[in-house]
Amino acid sequence: MLGFSNQTIADLLYWVTRKRWLIAAFAISLFLFYIPSPVSLSPEAHRTLIIVVIVLILIIGEVIPLPAVAILILILEVVLGIDTPNGVATSFMSDAVFFIMGSLMMAVAIVSQGLDKRLALGIIKLTGNKTWRIVFGFVAISAILSSFIGEHTVAAMMLPVALTLLRNTSGDQKTIHRLSTILLFSIAYGCAMGSIGTPSGGGRNVIMIGYISEFGLGNISYLNWIKYAYPMLLLEIPIAAAILWITFKPDQRVLDSAVRKLKVKVAKTGAMTGNQIMAIGIFFLVFLGWVFLSPYLGLGIVALIGVFLYLSFGLIEWQDINRNTNWGVILLFGAAISLGVQMKETGAAEWVATQSINGMSMLVNNLGFMQWFISVFLTGILTNFLSNAATVAVLGPVVLDMGGNPIILGISTSIASSFAYLTIVASPTCMIIHSSGLVKSSDYLKAGWKLFVISMVILYLISNLYWPYLS
Amino acid sequence: MKFLIAIGSKDYSGPTLELGMRVAKAFNAAVDIVYVGEKISAFSTSEVKLAQDNLDNWELDRIGVDVLQWAYEYLVENKYIPSDSEYSDFNKDKLVQTNDDRCEVHLEGRMTQEVGLILRNGDIIQQLRDEVRQGHYDVTIIGGSGERRMAHDLVQYIDSSIFIVNQFDPNQKYRLLLAVDDSTGTKGAVKFGVRVAQAFKIDVDILTVSKVDRFKDGYKDAAERAGKFMRRTSIQYQNIYRVGDPSEIIKNEAGDNHIVIMGASSKNPLMKFFKGSKPLDVMGNCNCPILIVK
Repeated sequence: MLGFSNQTIADLLYWVTRKRWLIAAFAISLFLFYIPSPVSLSPEAHRTLIIVVIVLILIIGEVIPLPAVAILILILEVVLGIDTPNGVATSFMSDAVFFIMGSLMMAVAIVSQGLDKRLALGIIKLTGNKTWRIVFGFVAISAILSSFIGEHTVAAMMLPVALTLLRNTSGDQKTIHRLSTILLFSIAYGCAMGSIGTPSGGGRNVIMIGYISEFGLGNISYLNWIKYAYPMLLLEIPIAAAILWITFKPDQRVLDSAVRKLKVKVAKTGAMTGNQIMAIGIFFLVFLGWVFLSPYLGLGIVALIGVFLYLSFGLIEWQDINRNTNWGVILLFGAAISLGVQMKETGAAEWVATQSINGMSMLVNNLGFMQWFISVFLTGILTNFLSNAATVAVLGPVVLDMGGNPIILGISTSIASSFAYLTIVASPTCMIIHSSGLVKSSDYLKAGWKLFVISMVILYLISNLYWPYLS
Repeated sequence: MKFLIAIGSKDYSGPTLELGMRVAKAFNAAVDIVYVGEKISAFSTSEVKLAQDNLDNWELDRIGVDVLQWAYEYLVENKYIPSDSEYSDFNKDKLVQTNDDRCEVHLEGRMTQEVGLILRNGDIIQQLRDEVRQGHYDVTIIGGSGERRMAHDLVQYIDSSIFIVNQFDPNQKYRLLLAVDDSTGTKGAVKFGVRVAQAFKIDVDILTVSKVDRFKDGYKDAAERAGKFMRRTSIQYQNIYRVGDPSEIIKNEAGDNHIVIMGASSKNPLMKFFKGSKPLDVMGNCNCPILIVK
């Protein structure tokens, strides 16, 4: 047919079926490009929104590599005349990108120190051998640790602890399915909840702080953020543990033998090494830097100082960092922030915010609630299909242009981006526990929707009853 | 010949491995057994890798190694590989990482040629397609998934014959249903059918289906040639001629006690994509193992 061999046609069909989202993105963008801009939308803002649509389709479809999406954003921003090459370059690199880069690199350094065995011993000492206490301990420790050192670092350290307990309980996975599910979700949900506790818990917190500061809406320090977010985290820990227990109540109520075997295994590791002490010491210094120096140096530069120290002290090799750092994600977040900045500058964010409010005003009269609900619900849903940092990077400027108190809406949005409970792709921690092969896709919804709804309610109450007293 | 057996889990892949190895033995083929782990979101690849690498420090296997270990134990137990040779010992340290998504180990075979165990991660169609292209396999054997789209993609995009092991019961007595017509794929299907029937020592039903009352000469010739092959190789067979919708009749004749073998459609890939084909329809409806020979 048309001079092509059957093989060539089959290869072409294969490409088309695999890249259907890419083709859809291209077709939709062409359509959007040629429809006239609405009266209240400038041509630049119109074109910026076209890029947003393309990017959302490409990221959710995962049809091309993430770095390619990042590069496409930068190209389109210049080609569509939204900004100059230098303007795009300036908006691409920010302290938030430094922070994401630094925290991903520090994660590699921390995980490679083998501190997880000590962590396991610490948890077991606190919880004993009753399953409900272990579940509570997993949620609490994962949440508190991830609020400081990032969720995927903690998930990577906690996963072997849970898997060892499970293997010591039974070799037959079928008999311990509920136990596997509850322990692994304790880690994933604990880490997700914890990541809002401090700015260093997740890149999107830093992105939001950056937007609020860059758009001249205020400044949030490390400690101030903790004052806003930590009470929510502490409230959520027992609630999440209870929801998990009710949803996946395991048959094994005591893990006596498994805990003893774990203790024996961990005891073999011997005393703490000099490198481990140094690794903890450097992280403590970084933490102090975030608290006291970030107003002057920025959170990102402090994180990079930590990486510098880990490398200089020989605690990690550059090759290990290079191999285990997701450079594509860093590029994408840089490009997404650049897109967020363009949304603000072209007026696209304000237009989307106004249209959303107008659309919702037909349903609800309470403007304050509407602003809050649109920000939080949209972020919560989108974060389950998109990366949470990308969600905040794209939605952040829209939320901040909605009116109302930008600090409250901004932090609410950041917190809502941690409601990544519903899908496997919601966050790296969900993907990490799924990669163990012990949890099914359907398990995510079973407990996830309950936690999602309750988290929304808690956030609403806290943002209305507690936060107004802080500002 | 070279066979690729794709397994999914210890719980569901037993019949696939059993039937796949028996067919491979019949052909004295080299066999590779592949486990394809789930696709990791691009946002999480490094984080998941970091977590998986950390499992090594705890002497825990990453996902998939246990499935390969199970396959290895099956091979030893059924004497497909010798248990006393240093070239046939399997442990996770012997897995060689060939690229980010793939690692493998090769073991000495006994009743077949070499046996390889391969671990891959990613989209299953993409991974199997890459593996088949890289390893030049003649047949890909995989368990039935119940997803019509998956069956379609396997037949359409994998460059080898496809054997879907639908609901195979090792304890059941099967017959072989050889569907023949005047298509170019029939010749290959008959050759495969003879070898499988010999190896399994089972009788063959040669089925010819015409949509119209009068059978075309090509159909009758194909059925007679297949019969001649069977006679020459002393296989018990019977010719069955039916009129009606081919996929419906093949499905009904196959029931749940036949292994179906038929040639791939010779239609243009575009036609197959938009209008489907006989093998695709049969594959989507059948409740028994089915081999589509390309």
